[in-house]
Amino acid sequence: MVALIVPLRVPPPERRNLPPVSIRFDREEWEEEVERLDERSEARIQALRARREIEGGKAALDLQKCEADDEASGTRLVGCVKSYVPLGKQGASEAPFGFVFQLAQNPDGSLVWNFIAFGERHPDNPATRTVYERAHKRLHGRYPE
Amino acid sequence: MAIAVRKLDLHVGELVEIEGRRYEVVPDKTGGLTIEPPITPISELYEKRGMKPASAEDFERIAGDLPADGEG
Repeated sequence: MVALIVPLRVPPPERRNLPPVSIRFDREEWEEEVERLDERSEARIQALRARREIEGGKAALDLQKCEADDEASGTRLVGCVKSYVPLGKQGASEAPFGFVFQLAQNPDGSLVWNFIAFGERHPDNPATRTVYERAHKRLHGRYPE
Repeated sequence: MAIAVRKLDLHVGELVEIEGRRYEVVPDKTGGLTIEPPITPISELYEKRGMKPASAEDFERIAGDLPADGEG
Protein backbone atom coordinates (compact mmCIF):
# COMPACT_ATOMS: atom_id res chain seq x y z
CA MET A 1 0.00 0.00 0.00
CA VAL A 2 1.29 3.41 -0.94
CA ALA A 3 0.38 6.27 1.32
CA LEU A 4 1.28 9.77 0.38
CA ILE A 5 1.58 12.21 3.20
CA VAL A 6 1.96 15.84 2.35
CA PRO A 7 2.28 18.93 4.49
CA LEU A 8 -0.88 20.81 5.19
CA ARG A 9 -0.62 24.54 4.64
CA VAL A 10 -3.58 25.40 6.76
CA PRO A 11 -2.64 28.04 9.27
CA PRO A 12 -2.50 26.01 12.48
CA PRO A 13 -3.62 27.60 15.71
CA GLU A 14 -0.04 28.43 16.54
CA ARG A 15 -1.03 30.47 19.50
CA ARG A 16 -1.87 27.17 21.15
CA ASN A 17 1.44 25.59 20.12
CA LEU A 18 -0.24 22.81 18.18
CA PRO A 19 1.84 20.69 15.79
CA PRO A 20 1.16 20.97 12.04
CA VAL A 21 -1.14 18.30 10.63
CA SER A 22 -0.36 16.53 7.35
CA ILE A 23 -2.79 15.44 4.66
CA ARG A 24 -2.82 11.78 3.71
CA PHE A 25 -4.07 10.38 0.40
CA ASP A 26 -4.19 6.60 0.58
CA ARG A 27 -4.48 4.33 -2.42
CA GLU A 28 -7.80 2.68 -1.54
CA GLU A 29 -9.73 5.88 -0.98
CA TRP A 30 -8.23 7.52 -4.06
CA GLU A 31 -9.15 4.57 -6.29
CA GLU A 32 -12.70 4.42 -4.98
CA GLU A 33 -13.34 8.14 -5.02
CA VAL A 34 -11.43 9.47 -8.01
CA GLU A 35 -10.33 6.59 -10.24
CA ARG A 36 -13.96 5.41 -10.48
CA LEU A 37 -14.49 8.43 -12.73
CA ASP A 38 -13.76 8.56 -16.45
CA GLU A 39 -10.18 9.63 -17.08
CA ARG A 40 -11.36 12.51 -19.26
CA SER A 41 -14.08 13.72 -16.92
CA GLU A 42 -13.84 17.21 -15.50
CA ALA A 43 -14.24 15.84 -11.99
CA ARG A 44 -11.29 13.48 -12.24
CA ILE A 45 -9.08 16.07 -13.92
CA GLN A 46 -9.87 18.63 -11.23
CA ALA A 47 -9.30 16.14 -8.40
CA LEU A 48 -5.90 15.17 -9.76
CA ARG A 49 -4.93 18.79 -10.26
CA ALA A 50 -5.96 19.70 -6.72
CA ARG A 51 -4.04 16.78 -5.25
CA ARG A 52 -0.93 17.77 -7.18
CA GLU A 53 -1.24 21.32 -5.92
CA ILE A 54 -1.52 20.05 -2.35
CA GLU A 55 1.42 17.68 -2.80
CA GLY A 56 3.48 20.42 -4.34
CA GLY A 57 2.84 22.68 -1.41
CA LYS A 58 1.56 25.35 -3.77
CA ALA A 59 -1.95 25.44 -2.46
CA ALA A 60 -3.23 27.29 0.54
CA LEU A 61 -6.13 25.11 1.60
CA ASP A 62 -9.28 26.82 2.74
CA LEU A 63 -10.51 24.06 4.99
CA GLN A 64 -13.96 24.28 6.50
CA LYS A 65 -15.62 22.12 9.11
CA CYS A 66 -18.22 19.64 7.87
CA GLU A 67 -21.61 19.41 9.52
CA ALA A 68 -21.59 17.01 12.44
CA ASP A 69 -25.33 16.46 12.04
CA ASP A 70 -26.93 18.00 8.94
CA GLU A 71 -30.69 17.77 9.29
CA ALA A 72 -31.47 18.53 5.66
CA SER A 73 -29.34 15.80 4.12
CA GLY A 74 -29.01 13.46 7.08
CA THR A 75 -25.23 13.40 6.78
CA ARG A 76 -23.19 13.09 9.98
CA LEU A 77 -19.58 14.04 9.33
CA VAL A 78 -18.19 14.32 12.83
CA GLY A 79 -14.47 15.03 12.91
CA CYS A 80 -14.30 15.99 9.24
CA VAL A 81 -13.32 19.01 7.20
CA LYS A 82 -13.63 19.81 3.52
CA SER A 83 -11.93 21.72 0.78
CA TYR A 84 -13.60 22.96 -2.36
CA VAL A 85 -12.17 21.82 -5.70
CA PRO A 86 -10.70 23.52 -7.69
CA LEU A 87 -8.68 24.85 -4.78
CA GLY A 88 -8.98 28.53 -4.05
CA LYS A 89 -12.45 28.83 -5.60
CA GLN A 90 -15.56 29.39 -3.52
CA GLY A 91 -18.91 29.43 -5.32
CA ALA A 92 -20.66 26.24 -6.38
CA SER A 93 -20.27 27.15 -10.04
CA GLU A 94 -16.56 27.91 -9.71
CA ALA A 95 -15.83 25.01 -7.36
CA PRO A 96 -18.39 22.28 -8.07
CA PHE A 97 -16.40 19.51 -6.36
CA GLY A 98 -15.02 18.85 -2.91
CA PHE A 99 -12.57 16.77 -0.90
CA VAL A 100 -13.55 15.55 2.57
CA PHE A 101 -10.87 14.67 5.14
CA GLN A 102 -11.23 13.05 8.55
CA LEU A 103 -8.86 13.84 11.40
CA ALA A 104 -7.26 10.50 12.28
CA GLN A 105 -4.53 9.19 14.52
CA ASN A 106 -1.60 7.23 13.12
CA PRO A 107 -0.13 4.22 14.97
CA ASP A 108 2.59 6.48 16.36
CA GLY A 109 -0.01 8.83 17.83
CA SER A 110 0.49 11.63 15.33
CA LEU A 111 -2.56 13.24 13.76
CA VAL A 112 -3.33 13.37 10.06
CA TRP A 113 -6.09 14.65 7.79
CA ASN A 114 -7.07 11.45 6.01
CA PHE A 115 -8.75 11.83 2.61
CA ILE A 116 -12.07 9.95 2.65
CA ALA A 117 -14.29 11.27 -0.16
CA PHE A 118 -14.41 13.24 -3.40
CA GLY A 119 -17.41 14.24 -5.48
CA GLU A 120 -19.86 16.90 -6.49
CA ARG A 121 -21.11 19.38 -3.91
CA HIS A 122 -24.43 20.07 -5.64
CA PRO A 123 -24.94 17.53 -8.43
CA ASP A 124 -27.39 18.46 -11.19
CA ASN A 125 -28.44 14.84 -11.50
CA PRO A 126 -30.60 14.04 -8.46
CA ALA A 127 -29.47 10.43 -8.61
CA THR A 128 -25.83 11.42 -8.08
CA ARG A 129 -24.58 11.23 -4.52
CA THR A 130 -22.99 14.37 -3.11
CA VAL A 131 -19.47 14.31 -1.76
CA TYR A 132 -21.00 14.64 1.71
CA GLU A 133 -23.20 11.58 1.19
CA ARG A 134 -20.18 9.62 -0.02
CA ALA A 135 -18.22 10.71 3.04
CA HIS A 136 -21.13 9.69 5.28
CA LYS A 137 -21.20 6.25 3.67
CA ARG A 138 -17.45 5.85 4.13
CA LEU A 139 -17.79 6.71 7.81
CA HIS A 140 -21.02 4.87 8.63
CA GLY A 141 -21.20 2.07 6.06
CA ARG A 142 -24.47 3.22 4.48
CA TYR A 143 -25.96 6.29 2.88
CA PRO A 144 -27.96 8.66 5.08
CA GLU A 145 -31.67 7.93 5.38
CA MET B 1 -36.33 -11.47 -30.25
CA ALA B 2 -37.30 -10.64 -26.71
CA ILE B 3 -34.54 -10.49 -24.17
CA ALA B 4 -35.06 -12.73 -21.20
CA VAL B 5 -35.20 -10.86 -17.91
CA ARG B 6 -33.04 -12.24 -15.12
CA LYS B 7 -34.58 -11.53 -11.78
CA LEU B 8 -32.11 -10.93 -8.99
CA ASP B 9 -32.97 -11.14 -5.30
CA LEU B 10 -30.58 -8.49 -4.03
CA HIS B 11 -30.54 -6.41 -0.88
CA VAL B 12 -28.81 -3.22 0.25
CA GLY B 13 -25.22 -3.88 1.24
CA GLU B 14 -24.70 -6.98 -0.87
CA LEU B 15 -21.80 -7.14 -3.32
CA VAL B 16 -22.13 -8.46 -6.86
CA GLU B 17 -19.46 -9.10 -9.44
CA ILE B 18 -20.05 -8.36 -13.13
CA GLU B 19 -17.32 -9.09 -15.65
CA GLY B 20 -14.70 -9.09 -12.94
CA ARG B 21 -15.78 -5.82 -11.34
CA ARG B 22 -17.41 -5.58 -7.93
CA TYR B 23 -20.46 -3.45 -7.24
CA GLU B 24 -22.45 -2.77 -4.10
CA VAL B 25 -26.24 -2.77 -3.93
CA VAL B 26 -27.38 0.62 -2.60
CA PRO B 27 -30.64 2.62 -2.40
CA ASP B 28 -31.26 4.76 -5.50
CA LYS B 29 -32.98 7.73 -3.78
CA THR B 30 -36.35 6.89 -5.38
CA GLY B 31 -37.27 3.85 -3.35
CA GLY B 32 -35.48 1.36 -5.54
CA LEU B 33 -32.05 -0.20 -5.68
CA THR B 34 -29.05 0.35 -7.88
CA ILE B 35 -25.48 -0.87 -7.99
CA GLU B 36 -22.32 1.20 -7.81
CA PRO B 37 -18.63 0.69 -7.14
CA PRO B 38 -18.25 -0.05 -3.41
CA ILE B 39 -17.06 2.42 -0.81
CA THR B 40 -14.95 0.58 1.76
CA PRO B 41 -15.86 1.64 5.31
CA ILE B 42 -13.12 3.72 6.87
CA SER B 43 -13.13 1.44 9.92
CA GLU B 44 -11.88 -1.44 7.74
CA LEU B 45 -9.15 0.69 6.19
CA TYR B 46 -8.02 2.08 9.54
CA GLU B 47 -7.88 -1.40 11.06
CA LYS B 48 -5.46 -2.53 8.34
CA ARG B 49 -3.31 0.55 8.87
CA GLY B 50 -3.37 0.65 12.63
CA MET B 51 -5.14 4.00 12.53
CA LYS B 52 -8.21 5.32 14.30
CA PRO B 53 -10.37 8.45 14.20
CA ALA B 54 -8.97 11.29 16.30
CA SER B 55 -10.76 12.14 19.51
CA ALA B 56 -13.35 14.89 19.66
CA GLU B 57 -10.96 16.82 21.87
CA ASP B 58 -8.18 16.64 19.29
CA PHE B 59 -10.58 17.73 16.54
CA GLU B 60 -11.71 20.69 18.58
CA ARG B 61 -8.12 21.71 19.31
CA ILE B 62 -7.05 21.39 15.66
CA ALA B 63 -10.16 22.47 13.78
CA GLY B 64 -12.33 24.22 16.31
CA ASP B 65 -11.62 27.61 14.82
CA LEU B 66 -12.29 26.65 11.20
CA PRO B 67 -15.40 28.13 9.56
CA ALA B 68 -18.38 26.10 8.33
CA ASP B 69 -20.62 26.81 5.35
CA GLY B 70 -23.64 24.78 6.43
CA GLU B 71 -23.91 22.83 3.18
CA GLY B 72 -22.76 19.44 4.40
